[in-house]
Amino acid sequence: MSSTRPGGENPAAPSFRIRAQQLEKLPPCQAQCPNSGDVRGWLGVIAQHKKNKLTLDEAYDKAWQILAELNPLPATIGRICPHPCEDLCSRRDKDGAISINAMERFLGDWAISRSLPLPRAGAAKYAESIGVIGSGPASLSFAYQMARRGYDVTMYEKHEFPGGMLRHAIPDYRLPREILDAEVERVLDMNISLVRNIDVGSSVDLEKLRDKHTLIFLGLGAQGARELGIPGEQGPGVISGIDYLQHRKRQPESQHGKQVLVVGGGNTAIDAARSARRDGASVTLLYRRSETEMPAAAHEVEDARTEGVEFRFLVSPTRIVRDGSEIRELHMQEMRLAEADEQGRRRPVSIPGRVQKIAADVVIVAVAQAPDWEGMGVLAGGQEWLHTRDDGKLDEDIWAGGDDRGPGIASKAIAQGRYAAEAAHAELRGQENPRERSARKAIHNGAVKMDFYSEQQRTVGCRRSQQERLSDPESEIDQTISYEQACQEASRCMSCGLCFDCQQCFMYCNKAGFTRIDETRPGNYFVLALEACEGCGKCIEVCPCAYLEARDR
Amino acid sequence: MRMAEDLGLARDVGRKAQESQAWALQDGSRIAVIGAGPAGSMFSYFFLTMAETIGLDVGVDMYEPRRFCHRGPAGCNHCGGVVSETLIQRLATEGIMLPDSVVQRGIESYTLHMDVGDVEIATPLMEKRIAAIYRGNGPRQSVPLDTHSFDGYLLQLAEQKGARIISRLVTDVRREEDLMSVHCADQHCDQYELVVVASGVNSRLSEMLESQSHNFKRPARTKTFICEFHLGREVIRETFGPSMHVFLLDIPRLEFAALIPKGDYVTLCLLGDDIDDELMERFFSSPEVQNRFPGAIIPEHACHCYPRINIRAAVPAYGDRLVMIGDSGSTRLFKDGIGAAYKTAKAAAKTAVFHGVGAENFERHYAPLCQKINRDNQVGKFVFSVASLVQKARFARRGILHMTANEQKQTVSPRRMSDVLWDLFSGSESYTNVFLRTLHPAYIGSLLKNLVVGNLPGSAGRNAHSSSQENGHVQH
Amino acid sequence: MAGLGKEYKEGEVIVRQGETGNCMFVIQDGEVEAVAEANGKELRLRTMGPNEFFGEMALFENETRTATIRATRPTRILTIDKKNFLGGIHEDPSLAFRIVQTMSHRIRDLTDRLAKFEEGD
Repeated sequence: MSSTRPGGENPAAPSFRIRAQQLEKLPPCQAQCPNSGDVRGWLGVIAQHKKNKLTLDEAYDKAWQILAELNPLPATIGRICPHPCEDLCSRRDKDGAISINAMERFLGDWAISRSLPLPRAGAAKYAESIGVIGSGPASLSFAYQMARRGYDVTMYEKHEFPGGMLRHAIPDYRLPREILDAEVERVLDMNISLVRNIDVGSSVDLEKLRDKHTLIFLGLGAQGARELGIPGEQGPGVISGIDYLQHRKRQPESQHGKQVLVVGGGNTAIDAARSARRDGASVTLLYRRSETEMPAAAHEVEDARTEGVEFRFLVSPTRIVRDGSEIRELHMQEMRLAEADEQGRRRPVSIPGRVQKIAADVVIVAVAQAPDWEGMGVLAGGQEWLHTRDDGKLDEDIWAGGDDRGPGIASKAIAQGRYAAEAAHAELRGQENPRERSARKAIHNGAVKMDFYSEQQRTVGCRRSQQERLSDPESEIDQTISYEQACQEASRCMSCGLCFDCQQCFMYCNKAGFTRIDETRPGNYFVLALEACEGCGKCIEVCPCAYLEARDR
Repeated sequence: MRMAEDLGLARDVGRKAQESQAWALQDGSRIAVIGAGPAGSMFSYFFLTMAETIGLDVGVDMYEPRRFCHRGPAGCNHCGGVVSETLIQRLATEGIMLPDSVVQRGIESYTLHMDVGDVEIATPLMEKRIAAIYRGNGPRQSVPLDTHSFDGYLLQLAEQKGARIISRLVTDVRREEDLMSVHCADQHCDQYELVVVASGVNSRLSEMLESQSHNFKRPARTKTFICEFHLGREVIRETFGPSMHVFLLDIPRLEFAALIPKGDYVTLCLLGDDIDDELMERFFSSPEVQNRFPGAIIPEHACHCYPRINIRAAVPAYGDRLVMIGDSGSTRLFKDGIGAAYKTAKAAAKTAVFHGVGAENFERHYAPLCQKINRDNQVGKFVFSVASLVQKARFARRGILHMTANEQKQTVSPRRMSDVLWDLFSGSESYTNVFLRTLHPAYIGSLLKNLVVGNLPGSAGRNAHSSSQENGHVQH
Repeated sequence: MAGLGKEYKEGEVIVRQGETGNCMFVIQDGEVEAVAEANGKELRLRTMGPNEFFGEMALFENETRTATIRATRPTRILTIDKKNFLGGIHEDPSLAFRIVQTMSHRIRDLTDRLAKFEEGD
């Protein structure tokens, strides 16, 4: 043996022993979710409902409550979120990620059908008055989090109906109005007063609201569209993606292009292209990089293709040619991909002399959006976006969240609204900032023992066919999974990093070191008594979900 | 749990003159095997093989949540990992051949280490007929080579015969109406015509079954110690060779200690009465171990465990539609547990296929084997108590060393002492058989002679380590 | 190092026709041929590979080996003692099933070959 033994020391002394500890870890779904949703927590309530003596109905109610603590719009987000939570799901490479988005949607619909009220956080009532400008996801989230903590909240909306981009830009075939209405209504039912048709910055001065409220939240969004800046862009027939979508929501089938070009590669571009396709136009989407660089969700791109949207990659518009005021064609420069930029995305560069022409009568420009600072430019300090502290604090009494801080998906806006509310609440109450608490340990790669879990195919909800989609353009494409399917799908969750009562440690510990807890709940099934531990480490190795781990010496 | 409800294990069924056909399995019957160690896999293998020969179509579900492809304790069923000469031959006769990837090393001799000297006992045929194997897929920190688990291999045989492997942990077995129901940790539940418990003594299932049945007593257990040392293939070949090293030391409560060479690792196995730190300390610091294994220390994070072994059989080991096999029922004391698993598995499978699954069937066709094993263990206890007397008496050790060394040197036939030791350590023969041979007048006569000669001044044993050249087999 | 049994080189004789024996053999790895010698001429009876056994007749009758068995390439063979085998059969008669089955196949094979031989004569 190479190792030598220090004189007199017990060779069998605990140096070789392994001591286990129960440690909850951050699962990949939660780590990936912008809103840090406790996906494992609410799936666990459903998957383990029998163990915890809940009926399935009770489990769904409870799961929704856990979900709604952080996100007041599950039925909405369950429909439109590109679900990054599923991207690194441990199950992904085995038999498909858990259908987290479909589950969220199911629970959202479940709560609407049962008229479940949003969960309050305690019964306290505070004197401070809170003003929220805008009613998009960030504002709704902030207002909800403040209201449920006992604050008096007033929300100011420029339009007649609340919901922001969710209402004005997301097409009905992705998010039916009645779903959004039901969820927004439920937030407002938390005793939030809504002031409609008020444009802060023009019809009312921001300073006035600052005087009126203890604290203001800005959820202004980013409704200003960027232009291409090419000859022929000014004039009829050219419209921004966001304007097109908003207009179409108010007056469906108002745009009658025959040959529509959409410029851009984000979700707005895709929504615009699919909407125009529904209005009967032939639609070509132009993007200056290749498909892999597209920021739009891959499944949306696929849906657009299924519905007949044509794609032209590696082209950049250079000129819009008109016959009088009518658009005739668009000229575009062919591009190639050069080396990657700082963000790792490959940069497009033009190929000299290679210009193509394409016929068009409408051009929808959806390249980028930015906040519209009308009357409030002073807040941004002359910059394009608001630069707040991490938790959203902008000024002594002003907090902000959502697209006015930079573009992002709706669940990021909800997260920013929530984090701002949590921080603002802590500040108002003189408590420690909750965001500064230490984060949970992530699960290292390969720690979840995949082969302990039996194969079980991913549940996929029904979808409308291509013909149905075009003949009934506003009807929703995806259908909610069934009551039974939801339970089945929840049972696929591997509960990465949290005990789900597989009982292997209990069964195989030779010293009976694990004792079952009387009142169980997900993550809480056994207590470990280390006095008895023989240090073999078997419990750690049979623990499929990496909840048990070796203690550091 | 439900104390009132009884698992219905048979204590005294009483032998009827005529065996009824009431418990015979039919086409379409289903049976559950709990645990896919050697007992469970061999039961399934033999059951399905025999059922096929008589055209009986019965489904076998094997419940095993663990995976034998995992390294370390998770994929292991915890034993020294020696397949006895007898079992190797039986399996070969059955047509079961252990592939090279399963056999980590073929063993052809035993080296006995005592304070009075060492002696190597070779097999008469100079043939490797003992297999050193890994129960799982090797020690925790081993590099995955082309090694395969012994248990995994047997399970694969059962699967090839048509057994269905269900990756679930069984937490309860209940009698429901006329069938047995199996309940799992994940709430899954299924019903069977027969439940075969092969979960061993390193799971809490038998404890849970005991708690809900007022007449069932689970096997009594004691604690052992197993640890894997990484030394590398070359060092192992040079230091240990194809030999299993057995230590006969004067350490209270230690019945048996062995180092078993495998691929890159040597397995240390300590058997006795509740192996603890103090006993391990004494073992490691003994000169015999230090000579063979200088500076021996258990490396940090070394793969080790304290497996329990069965030291008293379960009673009763069967009931209507229920039978306990392998370590869950009766096994051999200290040695050849896998051999006992083979025997009990096959006897239970034969009973179920050819006779029926009622307590009366097991009583008639399975119980006799268990009783035979249990009786032999009684003799075994006596043999080991004699062995521990020898461990305490230096003069006796000298006599044994002398006699064995002479037999090995001169190829005397019959090799009475060598064979007794061989059969005792390798578990190749029943304890009864070993014991009866020690009663042979020629053995006693020879031993007495060697006791005298071995203790004369100047004998090999008296100057154990200095005069080792005298005896070709005495090891350094 | 791994692997059980005893190794034989190509061409090495494992049992010789006419010798007495008290064990049977199971091939672990490699291949052997069974050869009968009659009137100074060698007759190749069959070849056998892994998991097949030979020499089983000596376990049942105390007679001499009926054929010579030779390794046709490096081969590893496990021996089964008569004592162990018969003891096993005494405990569990079904242990003999596979041997009986194989012996039955061999008789059938020989019968066929004999019939063909007589036909061709």
